[in-house]
Amino acid sequence: MFKNNKYPKTLLLSVAVGAAGLGLSLQAYADQYSDAAKKWVSEEFETSTLSQDEQLKEMAWFTEAAKQFRGMEINVVSETIATHEYESNVLAKAFADITGIKVTHNLIQEGDVIEKLQTQMQSGRNIYDAYVNDSDLVGTHWRYGKVVPISDMMAGDGKAVTNPMLDLDDFIGLEFTTAPDGKIYQLPDQQFANLYWFRADWFERADLRKQFKDTYGYELGVPVNWSAYEDIAEFFTDGVKEIDGQRVYGHMDYGKKDPSLGWRFTDAWFSMAGAGDKSLPNGLPVDEWGIRVEECHPVGSSVTRGGATNGPAAVYATEKYVDWLRKYAPPEAQGMTFSEAGPVPAQGNVAQQIFWYTAFTSSMTKKGLPVVNEDGTPKWRMAPSPHGPYWEKGMKLGYQDVGSWTFLDSTPKKRRLAAWLYAQFTVAKTVSLEKTLVGLTPIRESDINSQAMTDAAPMLGGLVEFYRSPDRVNWSPTGTNVPDYPKLAQLWWQYIAQAASGESTPQKALDGLAEAQDKVMMRLERAKVMATCGPKLNEPREASYWLDQPGAPKAKLADEKPKGETVPYNDLLKSWEDAREG
Amino acid sequence: MTMSKRKGFGITVYILFVLAPIYWLLNMSFKTNQEILSSLTLWPETFTLANYATIFTDPSWYSGYINSMIYVSINVVITLVVALPAAYAFSRYKFVGDKHLFFWLLSNRMAPPAVFLLPFFQLYSSIGLFDTHIAVALAHCLFNVPLAVWILEGFISGVPREYDEMAYIDGYSFPKFFIKIFIPMIRSGIGVTAFFAFMFSWVELLLARTLTSVDAQPIGAIMTRTVGASGIDWGVLSAAGVLTIIPGLLVIWFVRNHVATGFALGRV
Repeated sequence: MFKNNKYPKTLLLSVAVGAAGLGLSLQAYADQYSDAAKKWVSEEFETSTLSQDEQLKEMAWFTEAAKQFRGMEINVVSETIATHEYESNVLAKAFADITGIKVTHNLIQEGDVIEKLQTQMQSGRNIYDAYVNDSDLVGTHWRYGKVVPISDMMAGDGKAVTNPMLDLDDFIGLEFTTAPDGKIYQLPDQQFANLYWFRADWFERADLRKQFKDTYGYELGVPVNWSAYEDIAEFFTDGVKEIDGQRVYGHMDYGKKDPSLGWRFTDAWFSMAGAGDKSLPNGLPVDEWGIRVEECHPVGSSVTRGGATNGPAAVYATEKYVDWLRKYAPPEAQGMTFSEAGPVPAQGNVAQQIFWYTAFTSSMTKKGLPVVNEDGTPKWRMAPSPHGPYWEKGMKLGYQDVGSWTFLDSTPKKRRLAAWLYAQFTVAKTVSLEKTLVGLTPIRESDINSQAMTDAAPMLGGLVEFYRSPDRVNWSPTGTNVPDYPKLAQLWWQYIAQAASGESTPQKALDGLAEAQDKVMMRLERAKVMATCGPKLNEPREASYWLDQPGAPKAKLADEKPKGETVPYNDLLKSWEDAREG
Repeated sequence: MTMSKRKGFGITVYILFVLAPIYWLLNMSFKTNQEILSSLTLWPETFTLANYATIFTDPSWYSGYINSMIYVSINVVITLVVALPAAYAFSRYKFVGDKHLFFWLLSNRMAPPAVFLLPFFQLYSSIGLFDTHIAVALAHCLFNVPLAVWILEGFISGVPREYDEMAYIDGYSFPKFFIKIFIPMIRSGIGVTAFFAFMFSWVELLLARTLTSVDAQPIGAIMTRTVGASGIDWGVLSAAGVLTIIPGLLVIWFVRNHVATGFALGRV
C-alpha cells in the first residue's frame, strides 16, 4: 500500500524533472544551432552580398525549416570540381552544424554520376537523395517524367521548406533548366563556359603584330571569325615558330579515340560554326546537335529528315577541327584526351585555343607557371569564341556547363525535401559568393556584380568581364531538343574519332552519326518510354528539299573562308562595359 | 659462370622492365601536379607528401580503403567456409552427376560480371542490402567460390584417403578430424585460395561500384573523383594507386612460399 502510493509521486517527479530537462536541452539545441550559424557566418562566409544580419536571418530560417529533419542522414552526389569539393568539405559541415541534418556529399567522376542517375531512373530505387547533374539533360528529364521539377516542389510539397530568400530571379542559368512546359526542372549550382583562350602578352608584342599585319593584311587581335583564327594559328605554328627560343604553336586540341572526344563536339562545336538555327538558348527548330524538333517532338537529325547533324555546316566544322589539329597543334595533341590536353596551354608554348573551358581558370593562374606573371596576374586572357561562316546573329555561340541540383521522384519524400534544403543552402546568398570565389563558377547575378568579384577580376584573365557582359547569353548548354542525352551523347565520340584518325572523311563519319542518332530516336519512339514529347521521326526525303528551305540545315556556302576579322581585346572589354552601363 | 652471369643479367633486365611502371607510379605520387605536367623527371625534384596527406586526412578518401578491406575480408572468409566442405565432398564422395556439377561450377566464371549487374542491383536493393559490405562480398562469392572449390579440390585430392580412415579408426569425430588434422594438411592450399579470392575481390570494380553508393563505397570508385572537368589530379591518383598495391603485396608476402603449388592447383 505504502509503496503503491509512492509510485505515482516518483513518477510525477521524474516526469517533471524530465520535462524540465527536455525543455532545457531544447533550449540548448536552439542555442547550439544559432551559435553554429554565428560561427560559420563570421569565420567562413565573411564575403557575401548580404549583410551579416541578413546572413544570420537566412541561417535562422534554415535551422527552423530543418527542425522536422533533425538527426537525418542524407546522401547527395556530384562530379569533382573545386566548387563541389568546397561544398563537400565545407558547406556540408556547415549545413550539419546549422540544421542538424548530416549530409554526405559524395564526389565521383561525372560519368559515374550519370550512370547512378540512370540506374535510379530505370530501376526506381533510391541511390542518392539528390544529384548535381548537368542541365544538358533537361530534355531527357522533361520527357521521361522521372524528375520532380523544382518549380512543382516549391509550389507543392516543398513549399514550407523553400527558402524565402532564395531569389530565383538572381540565377543566371535558370533559362537552361526550364523546359518548354515552363517548369523549372533543376536548380543551378555551378556554371562554367567554353571560350577562346589566347596569350595576350604575345598578341601585344610589336614585332609579332607587324609581322602578322604584313602577312595577312589586318591586325593581330582576338579573332571574330574562324578565318582569323585559322590565320593566327598558321601564323604562330608556321610563321613565328619560335618565341624566346621555344617552339610555339598556334592551336591546341585533342584527338584520341576516347569518350571525351564526344564532348568536344556535343559541347556546341557545331553551334560555333553556325550549324543550327537562330534563337536562344538553343536553336529552333534545329539545335546545335542537328536535331530538328516539330511541336516539341524530335523528328530527325539526318539532313534527309530535316536535321543538320550531317549538313554542310557540320561537315565544315568537323573538317576544320581535323585540319587544324593536324596542321597547327603540337604533334602529341592527336593522341591526347580531354584531361591530358587541358593543362597543355599552361606550359607556355600555345598561343591560342579555340575550345577552352573556364573551369581551368584557377589551375592556369597558379604562381610559377610560365603563363603567369611575377605578380600573379595571368599572361593570357579569355574572350568570346570566334564564329564560323554559317553563324548569324541571334544564334548561340558556344557552350556553358550548368551543374544543377536534380531530384528524382523515386527518392522518398522526406529524404528529397531534406536534400532540397541542402541544395538551397549550397546556393544561398549567405554562402554563394564565398563559394564562387573558391570555385570560379558563378551562378548569381548579385555575386557577379559584387565588389569582391571586381577585386578578383585582374587575377582571373577576363572571367568576371565575360560573365558581366551581355554576350554571356550566347553561351548555353545542350537544350531541350535532345530527348535522351546519355544514349545520344555516347554515339558521338565513336564517329568523330573516325574523322579525327582519318579512317573516314568528315562527311562519311557524320552520315554515320546522324543515322545512328535517328536509329536511337526511332527506338525511343517505338518503345514509347517517354511521358511527353517523345521522338516522332520524319520520313526521309531528298536532301535538297530541306537544304533549299531557309534556316538549318543550311546549304553549302560557296565561300567558307571570308576575310579574317579581329578585334583588339581592350575594345572588346570597353564595348562590354558600355553595354553594361547603357 | 658466364652462363649464370648472363642469366642474372636477363633477370635483372626483366625485373627492371616489369617494375618500371610501378616505379613511375611511385615517382609520380611524390611529385606535385605542376611537376608531373611540365617536364619529364626521373625522380621528384620537389619531393612532396601532400598527395598522401590528402588521402590520409580526408575520411571520404581513406574510408574507401577501409570499405574495400572489409568486404574483401568478408568475401575471403565466406568463400573459404563454403568452398572447403564442397571441395572435400567433390574429392571424397561419388554421387550422380558429380563430374558434371564440378565442371559446371565454373560456368559462373564464364560470364563477365557485367551480366549480373542489374539482377544483383535489383535483388540487393529490394531486400535492403544495397550499399552494404555484405552485398559486395556475396556478389564476389559468385565468382570466387567456384574457383576456390576447384583449387581446394586439387589440394584435397593430394591427401591420401587413408588419413581420413585412420582418423576414423583412432576415434576422431568427423568435425574434429576435419579441423584438427585435415585443414592443417592443406593449409598451403587454403592460403593460395585465400590469395586468389582476395585478388579478385580487391581489383573487381564493376560490381562493387554498382552495389554501393556511400557507406560501402570501394576505393576504386573513390579514385574516379581525381578526374574532373578541370583536369586530372595525377599526384593524388598515383598516391591512391600506390596505396592499393600495398594490401596485395602484404598478402603475397604471406603466401609467397605456396604460390607455385597454387598455380599447379595442388597437383604437384
